[in-house]
Amino acid sequence: MTDGIKRRDFLKVIGAGGAGATMLGCSTERVEKLLPYVIPDEEITPGVATWYTSVCGECPSGCGVWVRTREGRVVKVEGNPDHPISGGTLCSRGYSSVQGLYNPDRLSSPMLRGADGFSPIGWEEAEELLAQRLRESGNHIFLGGRMGPSLTNLVDDFLSVVGGVRREYEGLSEAPLREATRIAFGRNRLPTFDFAQARLVFSFGADFLETWLSPVEYHRGFAQMAGVDEHGSKGRMVFLAPRLSLTGQNADEWVPLKAGSEAVVALAMAHVIVREGGDAGPYYQRLLEGYDPRSAEEASGVPAEEIEKLAMRFLEEKPSLAVGPGVAGHHRNATAANLAVHILNSVAENVGRTVRLREVDQGAPALPYGELASALSAMAGAGVVMVHGTNPAYSLPSGAGFAEAFASAGFRVSFASAMDETAELADLVLPDRHPLEAWGDSNPRPGLYALQQPAMRPVADFDSKQLGDVLISVSLRLGEELGVGTFFDHLRNRWRRIQAIAAPGQGFDEFWREALRKGVVGLPVRATEVPVPLRSPDAILNFDVPALDGDGEFALVVYPSPRFGDGKHANRPWLQELPDPVSKMAWHSWVEVHPRAADRLEVQNGDLVRVRSPHGLVEVPVWRYPGIREDTVALAMGGGHRSYGRFAQGMGVNAMDLLPAEVEQPSGALVHLATRVSLEPTGDRRRLATIEGSSDQHNRPIAPAVALSALGHGGAGHEEEGHGELKEIQGLGGFAPVPTEGRAEDFPLEGSRYGQYDPEANPRWAMVIDLDKCTGCGICVTACQSENNVPWVGEEQVTMGRDMHWIRMERYFERVDASRAGPLDVRFLPMICQHCGNAPCEPVCPVYAAYHTPEGLNAQVYNRCVGTRYCANNCPYKVRVFNWFGFSDVPQPMNWAFNPDVTVRSSGVMEKCSFCVHRIRVVQNRARVEGQRPVRDGEVVPACQQSCPAEAIVFGDIRDPHSRVAQLTQNERGYRVLDELINTQPAVTYLKKVTFHEVESGEH
Amino acid sequence: MATALNEKERGTLTHPDVESFGQVNRDILKILSRPGKGWWALFSVAVLGVGIFFTSWIYQIVNGIGVSGLMSPVGWGVYITTFVFWVGIAHSGTLISAILFLFRAPWRQSIYRAAEAMTVFAVMTAGLFPLIHLGRVWHGYWLIPYPNSRFLWPNFRSPLLWDVFAVTTYFTVSAVFFYLGTIPDVAAARDQAKGLRKKLYQVVALGWRGTDREWHHFGKAYVFLAAFATPLVLSVHSVVSWDFAMSIVPGWHATIFAPYFVAGAIFSGVAMVITLTVPLRKIFKLEAYLTVRHFDAMAKLILLTSIIVLYAYMTEFFMAWYSGEEVERSAFWNRLFGNYWWATWIMLVCNGIVPIMLWFKRVRHSIPALFVISLFINIGMWFERFVIIVTSLSHEYEPFAWGVYRPSMVEMGILVGSFGWFFFWFLIFTRILPPVAIAELKEVLPPPLRGARKKGEVR
Repeated sequence: MTDGIKRRDFLKVIGAGGAGATMLGCSTERVEKLLPYVIPDEEITPGVATWYTSVCGECPSGCGVWVRTREGRVVKVEGNPDHPISGGTLCSRGYSSVQGLYNPDRLSSPMLRGADGFSPIGWEEAEELLAQRLRESGNHIFLGGRMGPSLTNLVDDFLSVVGGVRREYEGLSEAPLREATRIAFGRNRLPTFDFAQARLVFSFGADFLETWLSPVEYHRGFAQMAGVDEHGSKGRMVFLAPRLSLTGQNADEWVPLKAGSEAVVALAMAHVIVREGGDAGPYYQRLLEGYDPRSAEEASGVPAEEIEKLAMRFLEEKPSLAVGPGVAGHHRNATAANLAVHILNSVAENVGRTVRLREVDQGAPALPYGELASALSAMAGAGVVMVHGTNPAYSLPSGAGFAEAFASAGFRVSFASAMDETAELADLVLPDRHPLEAWGDSNPRPGLYALQQPAMRPVADFDSKQLGDVLISVSLRLGEELGVGTFFDHLRNRWRRIQAIAAPGQGFDEFWREALRKGVVGLPVRATEVPVPLRSPDAILNFDVPALDGDGEFALVVYPSPRFGDGKHANRPWLQELPDPVSKMAWHSWVEVHPRAADRLEVQNGDLVRVRSPHGLVEVPVWRYPGIREDTVALAMGGGHRSYGRFAQGMGVNAMDLLPAEVEQPSGALVHLATRVSLEPTGDRRRLATIEGSSDQHNRPIAPAVALSALGHGGAGHEEEGHGELKEIQGLGGFAPVPTEGRAEDFPLEGSRYGQYDPEANPRWAMVIDLDKCTGCGICVTACQSENNVPWVGEEQVTMGRDMHWIRMERYFERVDASRAGPLDVRFLPMICQHCGNAPCEPVCPVYAAYHTPEGLNAQVYNRCVGTRYCANNCPYKVRVFNWFGFSDVPQPMNWAFNPDVTVRSSGVMEKCSFCVHRIRVVQNRARVEGQRPVRDGEVVPACQQSCPAEAIVFGDIRDPHSRVAQLTQNERGYRVLDELINTQPAVTYLKKVTFHEVESGEH
Repeated sequence: MATALNEKERGTLTHPDVESFGQVNRDILKILSRPGKGWWALFSVAVLGVGIFFTSWIYQIVNGIGVSGLMSPVGWGVYITTFVFWVGIAHSGTLISAILFLFRAPWRQSIYRAAEAMTVFAVMTAGLFPLIHLGRVWHGYWLIPYPNSRFLWPNFRSPLLWDVFAVTTYFTVSAVFFYLGTIPDVAAARDQAKGLRKKLYQVVALGWRGTDREWHHFGKAYVFLAAFATPLVLSVHSVVSWDFAMSIVPGWHATIFAPYFVAGAIFSGVAMVITLTVPLRKIFKLEAYLTVRHFDAMAKLILLTSIIVLYAYMTEFFMAWYSGEEVERSAFWNRLFGNYWWATWIMLVCNGIVPIMLWFKRVRHSIPALFVISLFINIGMWFERFVIIVTSLSHEYEPFAWGVYRPSMVEMGILVGSFGWFFFWFLIFTRILPPVAIAELKEVLPPPLRGARKKGEVR
């Protein structure tokens, strides 16, 4: 022990050195602490998802949701199957709500405007300031979007204490429909429509698959109606509007009437029906005499014979249903147009059958723009103007003067959770919580209540506070009592009343728990539906085609975007990147022009044009669209945000800039179909961010169709040999499991090396997609993106052709004729990995990253992939997508939305649809735990199937002959894409679309 | 390397202006002395190219393969085009040295050294491109079958793996063949060199003294390697063509591909030899060694292969039409008139039309004309691969997934830089190794008979 190092020194050196090496060895990123659960949370089991019921807060439809959480954070929302509106699915906007929750542009604290812009302040200070301002003056205005009943109630309580009025404003208002319902039937309500019951639907431009009233519910109903059933019967839809929306593309016939002439056509049809003995009551009988098909032909451009024929069918194919026009058709006589549709429904005896008046919205009416306008003029004298859940600075035409009116108020407060255009104008911004982290409730129709419960603790990055709690706390500062300490207490108090009706015998806590568990409470509906007769109107309405401003060449249709609605959802990259279901473009705006009109203007796709109306000017690229009249052009709402975060700002143009701030009488709705525009080519062009290669099938058997008349006697072209083929794919099932003791020398296993498969082993997963039901809406795309951590890539990358969706919703125009009324044939085909039995991608991968699993899945091993992209080149379906960059490096805290069950892919790696293999494993593990029972048919549900409101997708084990998927595969409409050409033996069987018109031979 | 017949006639025919063995040594080894300004100028351009090449590549590795213009559905573009282009270039070196050697073609001696060097450097260039185009180049070694604890093997069914073997084998064999051929010449250079250079040559020459015994072994080894390399000439480009032919992409999936690619490779390779030797001849004043006769012979080879290539094009178009298959027809229609029509027409004109001029003897005997034609062919053959790869991928089975690929600046940088990289090595080669084979040249010269010696010339 005299020389050398001592043991103690040695350990010190080793210890320090080791620690140093560890530090050096690690990445330079922040070292984070991992703490085990000392006391485990009772609802959190690591690795197991916990689901909470709640209500989707994205639009006023009030869909019930199931929120999937993992380790205490929200990772996905899905529809609540117990909820009558959502019925287990949501729309793309609903699925994107996690991106609202984790949006990096949410405010991290309250903001106060100073001399040089906004600066963060604390909640204490902010509330004190608001209280002070409220105390200093009176005559306050609360301008809100649609809120839940309890919150609305609390706001009203608050306003009565501080002295003010509440005004409700939603960008998309169906006020003309409500007003028309009041005029026609004496009920100031929105009716509901039963699409599932109808056999024939006339949509006068109502986009009920996308945005109109309750899209998820109507979507489901429509698919039930329009899909061919086992008896070979199928309902049909006729779309009567100048432009085909997604709903329009799903119609069987298109009547391209002149913009604004819906009322005239509907009345002419009613005229024919009354002539045939329909009853319109004395007043309307007289009115209808003036609207014969001959005069309608002049106004609408639809031949009188066509109107006669349609009217007769509307009368005969019962029950029928006429709906519309929607927001895109809100012209200066929009109430009259809705009334005309009501008259048509009434004379065809649909009211009480497919048009329901009793089952109606009883919420406070969303105040139309007309009343907002009066509120705007009142702002000059107002003390404090509070804005919540709506963004009028963006969604109103600039001529409405919102900015000026808002500026004239004494003090301006916004409760926006991210800086939107209205918040930018405010003095104080008090960020509200996202619906997924806050309490609330909804009452979308009488007798239907649902609780919105926080599914996680508020995201820590954002110091937000719920509106209800802010109001309570401010009122306490004012020395006023609202009777409750928190909004949660208020909510429970309100629900005690619901419990008194819904479950009088039950204890409240039990009722409350049950309501939370189930997600929905139904109260007994009082009466059954009865036909309501038409009433003589109390207002004089003008049914004529309205005048449009300006003398431009084209009528301008401004329609609600299926992705952004009125623009509220534009800050979600999933929605920005979701290709628009009609144009297949993402991120930027476009103007739809008929190809012949475009030829006249000498513009091609991508040429930038100036769209000029008397009220404004925007510059957008042209998209040549055969589904629009030659004298009409169309622009979507929702683009062109001047604020609202990195994903929304500067993307596209705001179509509202072209519109006047004008009110339709008597409903008071904002007029959307108001102006004519001229198009001037600028000479510049841009590459469109589109996923569309060609909308023509080029005579290839990609999305074939079969005429309804040919069904049932082999006309679908499904020959006997098809069954032989089926056996063949079943035969290519999986690896032969070779018994081994796991010794090293046993590997690689005999027979497993070159992908030799055993016909006897394991399930063979397969899918059936019914193209007769598929509406091409793209909800599955967003649901898949949320489920599978599919990255978004941004406008530039989409423009280059690098979008990464695992589902490519293909859309082929087979028969689209804007020049006359007639059959319409637009085919949709969700293209996903076909999980081929004989997959071209597998043999070409040099490193076995693409391989066949024993269950017949075509698997992609991300961490084995070196990125040669040979598999993608050799995939005839082009479903493989490549991580050109590290797209998964998303801004904090959006990474919280990643599904922990699915690998997050790195740069340089190929990926594709996995048939949601993690969901298969969850079910298989559950079956194993539950006594080694077999997996039941229908138990495995991939995310796309889960999300499909049309129920077009069925998944299961094709080796089980009793499974639904095996039976549907044998359907006479069944076919496999390109299989006859290249023998890939896909596991995905498509069922052909069924058309009413004959499918020409040679036409697939 | 003696050939029995008519040495004298051939030699005098091929190199009428070379007077003696000694002159050969002087003329050729002079090239190895201090480089002139012209060389330095070219070399600095090449170094700049190497700089662009590696800057672009490193930029791509750091940022991701997305800095290229590649997209869906075109997953291969400029990188694989350039890969095939360089593999094709690599072709003719071995063809000229090995196959023509075995066939005793009388005109190979003067050009084969440059052609072989071109082969080696072209493979060195080409071999980088499969790495460059990888999404995760740092895992590129996974394509090599090496023992590992997880029993992970590469997929032997994948043509890309065959590529790995074909290209590495070809590189190894052609490098050894090249080296072997240089040994006597390096020895000659060693005997003249001084200082460090001499030391280097001493090592490289492996102590060559030129004894009969050494020549005997050398001859055997050379014949053996020539015979060994010959099938590789055919196989490597066949395998490269199978990258495409083995897939099911319309426009790729054709049985004609292997002979088509081999012919195309010889075509482009010989053209590149002309492109390289014309300046070489001029700069280093080798007119006596690289005679018009050599160029005439190469031009004929180009003419032959151009006809084969043109025939292959016609066959492709004909078969697409004759198959009656809509997808095939559409793919080839798109080639001629689609988004990339210009590339296809460049290809057809450069490879099919321009070489027609070579039917004329005057053109074949005009060095400037040949140089220009060879440049056209180089361009045309690059575009041939571009057309095959890009037009086919952009227009496959699913019409909705069709797309248009546009190469990015990074890809262009790597393409241009690859020429820098190639010429970097080639220029160094011209300074270090005799670019014309001294020893073999002497075999076809008239032997230094006593009577023929002039002015005390020493052998």
